[in-house]
Amino acid sequence: MKLQNHRLTFGLIIALALFPFALSWLTGEPIDSGTPKFWQGMLAQVFILAVYAVSYDLLMGYTGILSFGHALFFGAGGYTAGILLKHAAWPLWAVVLAVIVVAVILGLFIGATSLRVQGVYLTMVTLAFAQMMFVLSEATDFREWTGAEDGLQGIPVPAWLSPTQQRLMFYFVSLAFCVFSYYLVRRVTQSPTGRVFIAIRENELRARAIGYNTFLYKLLAMVASGVLAALAGMMNALWNLNANPNMLATSTTINALLMTIIGGAGTLSGPMIGAAFIHLLGYGLNTAFGPRWPLLFGLAYVGIVLFLPYGFVGAWRSLIARMKAKRA
Amino acid sequence: MTQIFRMWMAKQRATVVTLLIVALAVMALFARFEAKVAVSVLLSGLTLGAIYFLVSSGLSLIFGLMDVLNFAHGLLFMAGAYLGYAFYASGFGQALDSNLRFAIAILVGGASGALLGAIMEWALIRPLYKRPIYQVLLTLGLTFVGTEIIKAIWGTIGYFMNIPAFFNANTPNCPSPSLFDFLSDHCSSILILGRPFPSYRLFVILFGVLAFAGMMILLQKTRIGIIIRAGVQDAEMVQALGVNVRRVFTGVFALGTGLAGMGGVIAAPIIGVNLAMGQEFLLQGFIAVVIGGMGSLVGATAGALLLGLARAIGDQLVLGGLQLPWMEQAISLSLSIARASTVLIMALVLLLRPSGLFGKKD
Repeated sequence: MKLQNHRLTFGLIIALALFPFALSWLTGEPIDSGTPKFWQGMLAQVFILAVYAVSYDLLMGYTGILSFGHALFFGAGGYTAGILLKHAAWPLWAVVLAVIVVAVILGLFIGATSLRVQGVYLTMVTLAFAQMMFVLSEATDFREWTGAEDGLQGIPVPAWLSPTQQRLMFYFVSLAFCVFSYYLVRRVTQSPTGRVFIAIRENELRARAIGYNTFLYKLLAMVASGVLAALAGMMNALWNLNANPNMLATSTTINALLMTIIGGAGTLSGPMIGAAFIHLLGYGLNTAFGPRWPLLFGLAYVGIVLFLPYGFVGAWRSLIARMKAKRA
Repeated sequence: MTQIFRMWMAKQRATVVTLLIVALAVMALFARFEAKVAVSVLLSGLTLGAIYFLVSSGLSLIFGLMDVLNFAHGLLFMAGAYLGYAFYASGFGQALDSNLRFAIAILVGGASGALLGAIMEWALIRPLYKRPIYQVLLTLGLTFVGTEIIKAIWGTIGYFMNIPAFFNANTPNCPSPSLFDFLSDHCSSILILGRPFPSYRLFVILFGVLAFAGMMILLQKTRIGIIIRAGVQDAEMVQALGVNVRRVFTGVFALGTGLAGMGGVIAAPIIGVNLAMGQEFLLQGFIAVVIGGMGSLVGATAGALLLGLARAIGDQLVLGGLQLPWMEQAISLSLSIARASTVLIMALVLLLRPSGLFGKKD
């Protein structure tokens, strides 16, 4: 079973790596224009969103911390990258480091304050922090740096990574980013630390009784997931060539929730499938129904919360288990 | 004697702390500004506090009784405002004079909030009492859906709701020199210590006080109130005593969301009707509830008042330019800074007292 999963993952990665070439061969169009270029872009966005969703799942699905402020990290990554690239003209490697540092600091601050309370209090506090950042991103006081409500436009992305000129390069970089994050989170969740995360989710009191300092572990989960989300936000800003207040809005947090819940919380593949599902379906619905498609999404989300609490992956697993039980 | 005093202090610590904070803020305000400016800032704070109270009281009661954190509360506030406005501006409503129309609009907002809330509790939240986290996820999703529906019906542009004629006269002898004169001339503002203050805002304060008094009477003096307070303590026990707690749940949910819906209409002539208001007031409601402590009406009220005062003082400081001792020149800031700083107040309260001022330690 385990080996099969490994093979499946590797097969999928190779398929995704070959995808641009296959599509170019199938359509007969050159690889850097037309349909192949468009679908490279679509999938690059899916990869970025997948990392964002997985980072949320590390917090919610694995550690059981329901934060409603995840957009804060996503937006912070985008804005940090944008401001440093545009106003300070830092090289990209330094920007990546800076994004990580900013995310660690934010994660420590927000974790240290919000993790003092539990359950619904935590959701309120994290939502309030995210909303504060959203308000600040729109504040006219910082227009010079953030562009206020217009957002930070025209971020100068290094020429070799330009999503418009070097689309294939961007595709591979975001694929590598996604694969790297996947393996990183897998390592974390399968490590002893990850086991403590799961123990906290299942029963925090018991985890503390065994002797773990659960506060530190929760803080670690928050920082780790914050860093990943910030990196995803940075990639998103590079892709869009801008960072805007919308990245910090509650809808961005809801997006993370949606992807995680639809795919299946507490699994690694779930949020990634959810990200692909939502982005591609969103594109399809957008072309079919125009601007009303978020309504359909919301209704689908409510339906899933009510009837499919463990998402696609959860439903699939219980289906398999039921089939096996029937056969036995 | 000292023993009694100490016991009283221990019991009333939250009240004393709240009053102390308010007194300090008021003193600082009077030290910094002229008396007439300080008074109008205080009244603005009370106005905001009254609106926050209409949101936070429902949030707090619903959470206290059934452990549901209603993320759709802001949505119902907004839905009340939109529906109240729709009635107020509709052709049918135009036949009536604006005061009656406004009174009915408040009722429309309250009724639609209560009805939507009751349906929501009955149809969607009830199946999820066994899965608490999913209630939060659901109400957040409902906010998303509801906002999209409002956007589909009324579009993305905001609307401005006119102040009813009772508070909107503009004659040469306006602003009214006193509250007594206002009753005959209905000016849009009243002179308070020689500085005009919008009369509609005084009405908002009055409405908030009446709503608070009504809630207190309901909770403390009626049979239903006894059941609700007992339910906050232990809902299962009340059920065991033969009360249909589920029905009380639906009723309290409707009461809370109805207050929010009314609040939306009350706030509309001040802030307008727009798609951002739900989110904004939900957040302020949360902050008020976190400051005051969940599950207590007095806590929700204290939180709302403190928050309203903080916002009003913050806005005044920001607009007048902020000058700290080491600065050569006052720096001028936008209102967003004052809006954002309320979150920091909440963070401060949480650090000092995680269960809020009036909350019980769990």
